[in-house]
Amino acid sequence: MSEKISRRDFLKLASVGAATTAVLTGCGPASRYVKREPYSKMPEYTYNGLSTYYATTCRECAAGCGIIVRTMQGRALKVEGNPSHPVNLGKTCARGQTTLQGLYNPHRVMGPIKHTRGEALYNADFENNPANMSWDDASQVVADALKDSAGIAFLLGTTSDHLFDLVSDLATAIGAPAPIRFGVGNMFEARATLSKAAEDLFGQAALPFFDIGNSDLVISFGANFLETWLSPVAYNRAYAQMRRGNPKRRGYFIQFESRMSSTAAKADQWIPVRPGTEGLVALAIGRLVAEAKGGAVPPVFASVDLKSIVKAADVSLKMLENVAQHIAESTNPIAIPGGSALGLSNGLQTAKAILNFNALVDNFGKPGGVMLSPLSPNEDAYHRSASVQEMADFVEKLKSGGIKTLFVHGVNPVFELPKSLGFSEALGKVGTIISFSTFPDETAVASDYIFPDRHGLESWGYQRVATGAQQSVLSGLQPVVSGVYEKDSANLFYNPRATTDVLIAATKLAGDQFAQVLPFADEVEYIQSKLTSLVGQADGSFVAPEINTFSAYFQQHGGWWRNATEVAAPAASGVLSQALEVGPAEFAGEGEFFFKPYISPTLAEAGANIPWLQELADPTTTVMWNTWVEINPKTAEELGIEDDDVVRIVSEAGTVEASVYKYPAIRPDTIAMPFGQGHTAYGSYAQGRGVNPADILGANFNEAGDLAFMGMKVKVEKTGKKRELSRMEGKLGVYGFTQEK
Amino acid sequence: MIRNFFGWLTQPMGRIAVLIAALSLFSLAAFGIYYTQQPPEQPIQFTHKLHVGLGVQCLYCHPGALRGPSPGLPTLTKCWGCHQQIAKTNTSPKLAVLKDYVLNNKPIAWVPVAQVPDFVHFIHRPHIAAGLNCETCHGDMSQVEIAKNPQVMNMGWCLNCHRARTANDPEKRVKLTDCGTCHY
Repeated sequence: MSEKISRRDFLKLASVGAATTAVLTGCGPASRYVKREPYSKMPEYTYNGLSTYYATTCRECAAGCGIIVRTMQGRALKVEGNPSHPVNLGKTCARGQTTLQGLYNPHRVMGPIKHTRGEALYNADFENNPANMSWDDASQVVADALKDSAGIAFLLGTTSDHLFDLVSDLATAIGAPAPIRFGVGNMFEARATLSKAAEDLFGQAALPFFDIGNSDLVISFGANFLETWLSPVAYNRAYAQMRRGNPKRRGYFIQFESRMSSTAAKADQWIPVRPGTEGLVALAIGRLVAEAKGGAVPPVFASVDLKSIVKAADVSLKMLENVAQHIAESTNPIAIPGGSALGLSNGLQTAKAILNFNALVDNFGKPGGVMLSPLSPNEDAYHRSASVQEMADFVEKLKSGGIKTLFVHGVNPVFELPKSLGFSEALGKVGTIISFSTFPDETAVASDYIFPDRHGLESWGYQRVATGAQQSVLSGLQPVVSGVYEKDSANLFYNPRATTDVLIAATKLAGDQFAQVLPFADEVEYIQSKLTSLVGQADGSFVAPEINTFSAYFQQHGGWWRNATEVAAPAASGVLSQALEVGPAEFAGEGEFFFKPYISPTLAEAGANIPWLQELADPTTTVMWNTWVEINPKTAEELGIEDDDVVRIVSEAGTVEASVYKYPAIRPDTIAMPFGQGHTAYGSYAQGRGVNPADILGANFNEAGDLAFMGMKVKVEKTGKKRELSRMEGKLGVYGFTQEK
Repeated sequence: MIRNFFGWLTQPMGRIAVLIAALSLFSLAAFGIYYTQQPPEQPIQFTHKLHVGLGVQCLYCHPGALRGPSPGLPTLTKCWGCHQQIAKTNTSPKLAVLKDYVLNNKPIAWVPVAQVPDFVHFIHRPHIAAGLNCETCHGDMSQVEIAKNPQVMNMGWCLNCHRARTANDPEKRVKLTDCGTCHY
């Protein structure tokens, strides 16, 4: 074709085409017609065309952030933070925002189901199995199980404190063992180690609160407090305050961690120490600071050998002196112990070394220092969740065949516990397993019955705030929607029932001796009975003269909290004066690489079934929808590994295969892998994606009973396969064009 | 090639072809305009004429107009509140549709006809507060059978009224012709 269309002709033709299209399609009002479905029976408290807002508590993790959910015509549309809630003051994290996709998840358990252990809860096309029994029958099943009270065990998650209280009351009344709580988030925080260190040093088992908001120098030893640690939204908020809250200074932040986490990425200095030497480094810095102060060096730092520590930790003395210099120049320094520093054989000593450092800079109970978190308003003492060692003991109990019926709620131990503990195998010895899971997770699949609880946004309840606020807070839950309905219908699509209600109903069916165990009509009445002690108390966020008014305000405000700051100063008598020996960390396995599993900042322990979270790029690597293994480019070059090469990671406990992500911000002797993927059930968004690093964790513990999840050495083997990771950053990688594809 | 084509258009056959093409384009456009101006199908052949004629106030069924952004559509309970007491509800074939919705508790998927695009935040309340009557914008519904929109609700139409009603108040005119008043 020799002749081309001229510019003028092209414009003519294009304008004729555009005008025709516009006239034929878009201009008329018909293009805007939509169907609107008004309520068939409108609740009296709503108003047509206006949103209704409900204050409740986020149940995606145990931090207990207050949220306000916008609903329209009975549907939950948007989650925002509750501005008056002391924990998060109006902020939310990504998981809180996406809790809606849990409520409207296509893969929820439809209703009470009896099923064969191991069978999937949906078919190959991910169509959910229908409910196959009635709730009355379900209550009867629970009632029959309760009758043999010595042979039952309750395993609960870290959320739903009202259910924990109810089950504790029930267990006491019928002589059953007390419920056990577990959450893998607490394992990655090494919460047991932290509270044991506090108990040993301060004589009081409490969760320390680190007031980084008022500090001007934060030294974090592997604490991922901007991701999932303890109360991430509260610490994010405090971090912003530390950086920008004071117009006269900008807080300084130093992170010691073998891999640059997304928290470390925000630090002014990231110092990649060798894993297991964090306690030694804390002692070394303490010694330098004590020497600079003059006077006698406290006994705890007396035997510190700087030279050997510098060698062991693979840092330079100059670097540590520089940190000590920063401390000397700051007014409120604080050091915080994170899970990756404590999840090691010497973790307890490391925690003590770091708390001792805080004692040295004299910040106990002062603004910007270490405090003890206040107890929640209706709490008697701090109950931490089970450590992995305690879970291992529980597994032994299951294996012994002493448990006839196991109730599981709010936790997915089949997925979360290290495979080496043998939890799945131990379930074989349990007579009946009853799961109350809302979702078809691995533990639900391993159960005989699934009696789905309501989703957090459909639930009544309360959540104790363990840490994160300086006040004593009891956070309240209320349903923001009455349920998820079938399209164009008033029939429920999902038919869950509150586990509290199921247990109350079961005790009524279990016979005369159980009749008075839970003398409540329903869940709400039970919750009110737990709130009566707060009625009339004058120092709280609101005062109500009697319980019904109190309950109404409790829902309206999203909880009840005291107005006064109640954090206590830890007793400083036990610190500094005793010598402290931080031994070398033990590493299990023959491999050449330190293995650092870390909890995914986006998915955390249970977010894999939420597509918004799957699609959310990991903050440091930008990888989505998969599991990767981070290897330093230098190491990768030595091994002849490229991006997206599938490698086999071999530990003494097992092997997993994952694609490589060459990550320059990790020590060359360390490889890291996020926890959160690798589901074998849990719906179409989660199943069959990535691998679970818990599969290769050995059952090694520290003195506080926490899993030494950092104490593994692994081998990396090439498989010759390649599987591309989907990631947001360019495929040229951080080293640009030097990388050959 | 395209120049040959334009040359062919000057031939008699070409001219006839152009005429046919223009005519078909015109009639297609005319049909398109006609079609897109038609009121939509409604799930129930609800007659405003009858209900307004019986003396039912607009705000009885659309009370949101007084208080909020959206006037709202009546719920089934509101329809049934009157209709369950009317003998004709059980006999009229037209009302059998309503009865079916109510007895099966199915929401009625109405199609509102007075619509503005998503980027306009139209709020009824200040307009009612300014003393406008419903029929100022929605026409005399006592003469309308199935709901339809009496006019093109575009920005010029909004601004004409805003300007006319603020002729003597420059400060108010600035507020009522500011972009951010409706587009935010």
